[in-house]
Amino acid sequence: MTYSELKLCATRSAFEAVPNPRLKLDLPGVAARIAAEGLPVIDARVMLIAGERHEVTISRDGRVLIKLTDPDAARRVFERVRGWIGAT
Amino acid sequence: MARGVMLMSGGIDSPVSLHLLLRQGHEMMAVHMDNRPFTDDSPLEKVVDHLEILRQRYRQPIPLYVLPHGPTQITLMRQTDRHVGCVLCRRFMWRSAERIAEREGATFLATGESLGQVASQTLSNMRSATASVQLPIVRPLVGFDKLEIEAVARSIGTYGISTRPGLCCQAVPDRPATKSHLLQIEKEEERVDVDQILDDVVRHAVRM
Repeated sequence: MTYSELKLCATRSAFEAVPNPRLKLDLPGVAARIAAEGLPVIDARVMLIAGERHEVTISRDGRVLIKLTDPDAARRVFERVRGWIGAT
Repeated sequence: MARGVMLMSGGIDSPVSLHLLLRQGHEMMAVHMDNRPFTDDSPLEKVVDHLEILRQRYRQPIPLYVLPHGPTQITLMRQTDRHVGCVLCRRFMWRSAERIAEREGATFLATGESLGQVASQTLSNMRSATASVQLPIVRPLVGFDKLEIEAVARSIGTYGISTRPGLCCQAVPDRPATKSHLLQIEKEEERVDVDQILDDVVRHAVRM
């Protein structure tokens, strides 16, 4: 699965990455992998919200939103997210 | 003059709407539905700053009630049709505001809505959303266009606050319904325990 470059979203308050093509993630499976790392995760059926400060949103179609404005920190979080969702 | 409750989002419209009601001499209080974790901290921070400007301008205390809305959104996302999520969300916002109004002796609710701006503001969606409450709803901006609203926001000093960076609601579905039918909405809502949700929301309200 291929992701776009991590981009600052239009509201300048988060970074976003979009898979091409869109995915159909197994969200409960992803949630289990996040929880196994000891991180809090909320399963809202069509998306997961994860992290100590709910800083990561993962949609069922694979879109990832990281509520950080520092690009280096966002990139580090995204690398972790790729592991959760099995992206290469 | 009457006592009213204004729903404040942190956006451009609601402080302008509140300004118009305060200018008429109404005694107003504000309700902010705290949508975290589907947003970030910025909407609440913006509402706090909007109110500070309007408190100084009108020398009114304008109490702010912050009500948790994120848990409601999670319940709705898990148990109801996403297509009508925005309408259901609005119904819970209105009901929550009405609970606060009843507690505070307010006789009307108010909002910054104007027709046709976003999915929740089509006429049929407004009808479906507001059928959930009994108190009259006042929409001072209903006939304004966006440029007019922005001009007033700039003149009262709230525009710069509203346009600071901030996360949009992540709970908005990809294709929100623009035309809803009240019966369909009410049936969908039967999937959740409305009174239990509202009791929880009001129990966790914080007055600022």
